[in-house]
Amino acid sequence: MSNNNTDREVIVSIKHVDISFGSGAKKFVAVKDANFDIYKGETFALVGESGSGKTTLGRAIMRINPCSAGEILFEGKRISGNISAEEDRNVVRSIQMIFQDPAASLNERATIDYCISEGLYNFHLYKDEQERVAKVDRALKEVGLLPEHKSRYPHEFSGGQRQRVGIARAMIMEPKFIVADEPISALDVSIRAQVLNLMNKLKKEKDLTYLFIAHDLSVVRFVSDRIAVIHLGEIVEIAEAETLFEYPLHPYTISLLSAVPMPDPLIEKNRKHIVYDPSVLDQSGEPREMREVRPGHFVHCTEKEFEGYCQKAAQLEKEKGKA
Amino acid sequence: MDIENTNLFEFAEFDELESEHIAAPAYSYWKSVWRTFFRDKFTVAVAIFLLFIIGFALIQPTISGYSPIVAPNINNSSMKFLKPSAEHIFGTDHVGNEVFDAVWAGARNSIIISFVCTAINMLIGIPIGALWGFSKKMDRWMIEVYNVISNVPFLLLAMILSYVLGAGMKSLIITMTCTEWIFVAYFIRTQVMIIRDREYNLASKCLGTKTWTMITKNILPYLISVIMTYVSRQVPSLISYEVFLSYMGLGLGTTNASLGQSIAMYTSYMNGYPHLFWIPVSVLAIISISLYIVGQKLADAADPRTHM
Repeated sequence: MSNNNTDREVIVSIKHVDISFGSGAKKFVAVKDANFDIYKGETFALVGESGSGKTTLGRAIMRINPCSAGEILFEGKRISGNISAEEDRNVVRSIQMIFQDPAASLNERATIDYCISEGLYNFHLYKDEQERVAKVDRALKEVGLLPEHKSRYPHEFSGGQRQRVGIARAMIMEPKFIVADEPISALDVSIRAQVLNLMNKLKKEKDLTYLFIAHDLSVVRFVSDRIAVIHLGEIVEIAEAETLFEYPLHPYTISLLSAVPMPDPLIEKNRKHIVYDPSVLDQSGEPREMREVRPGHFVHCTEKEFEGYCQKAAQLEKEKGKA
Repeated sequence: MDIENTNLFEFAEFDELESEHIAAPAYSYWKSVWRTFFRDKFTVAVAIFLLFIIGFALIQPTISGYSPIVAPNINNSSMKFLKPSAEHIFGTDHVGNEVFDAVWAGARNSIIISFVCTAINMLIGIPIGALWGFSKKMDRWMIEVYNVISNVPFLLLAMILSYVLGAGMKSLIITMTCTEWIFVAYFIRTQVMIIRDREYNLASKCLGTKTWTMITKNILPYLISVIMTYVSRQVPSLISYEVFLSYMGLGLGTTNASLGQSIAMYTSYMNGYPHLFWIPVSVLAIISISLYIVGQKLADAADPRTHM
């Protein structure tokens, strides 16, 4: 890892993780050899097209999908595979998830009070009923909802409100790490910013770390510190958010960035979409691995491609420097 | 008038929380269920009628003290085969007993048996079915148990059990519950599997919710209307079952009154005295159909999609 990163505390570490579904001839590998660290206090974004394995990887961290190879470490301790009941409790409390579809991820037959208290009940995180009510009220206030909403059912809320209930439900567990699986993609455009701002506010207040799974690159640029690009289950590029947008190296990343729509009709008209063509990659069959092209900027490539990327990165840097 | 008097106006404070209020009145699940149920006057009428019939069937036999083996008028031929009249509401039968008494005593036993059996089947079937649907490990062997049990012909089982246990209310209840619960469980299992992997259950899992809490809080509340539908079909179908078994001679035995018993007994007089046969059959049909109508409406009302 690069110099400025060595002194940072790693909170989640994904080590050569493979995730596959089915077995034998039907075996499908959804994520191949994912390998990266997430540092404490950052927002790490995972971007890629539909079906690229972003959600699968997020769910592997939530231990919903088992890893078929490799391991996932949380604060240095393995959390994938079988772990003791005590550690399980600890991990459940420390890692929480915000779901994509707020309409589907809330129990429609339970009141908001129960939805939010569910984690508290499971771990008995309150001394008495009074404290539980106080905690729920505080969690509701934090996400901008009112205590009077407790007796309501999820279907009475708007999409943005429901998503905030989902956030409150995760926050009440006082987690350290949050997997946000496309938390705004099911929301109306007008309330996306509200939810994002809320997530940022909570991050600052509670010293959280986010794994932000998304396919909307403009949003990712706004919220994240580092970005990993995933394509067909393989992580192809990891870099600081601005670096990735300024100097994209992997052809897939370039293609993905070229597909971002611009809210300006003049620019949008002239925008060229670069179609990703895997044949431009080195076809020699040499093994690919993550190589550090610039400090903190990793690209999934062969030895030969690596040299090309290094040159390209240097060239791009020079051009930007001149301009 | 002083137009420049700005005191008439004041700046409104902007309150972000104000927009979070929900104007709609508070929703309560069970209140809405009953409201929807009572909205339909026809069903309410049927329900009242049904309650009256069930109440009557439970009370009338204790007053009449009817028993099929007691026949005080057996030697009085003027009391036999009387047509329905003001004095003998449903007429009298081949031994001179009141058909009215026989039918209600029979209805009483039939209703008790079907309610008790439904309750037992549901109480065993629902929890087992819920666990069965949730646990893949349990599914592996339960499905084999189900295959074996569901392939045993019911009539054969009923015959064997009636030989072993003898006739009577207890043995009939055992016959109608000892395998029937597994069909309930199988039905629930399928329903649970449909909603087991929905995202809100995943969310509960992420919050560390235990399986049993998940079943009672996340799964069963969704199944209320489905279970209601099942119960509303099961109660009348068990009444028919009881009638069928009693008719076949595998039911309550000749010492106890039951609708099946009456129907079987009176079938032989169908040509000469059709009222003997048709009265118990009509009572059976009326009870079954009203149970079905009320149950269906209750099941509909239990579905929150009808609450709007």
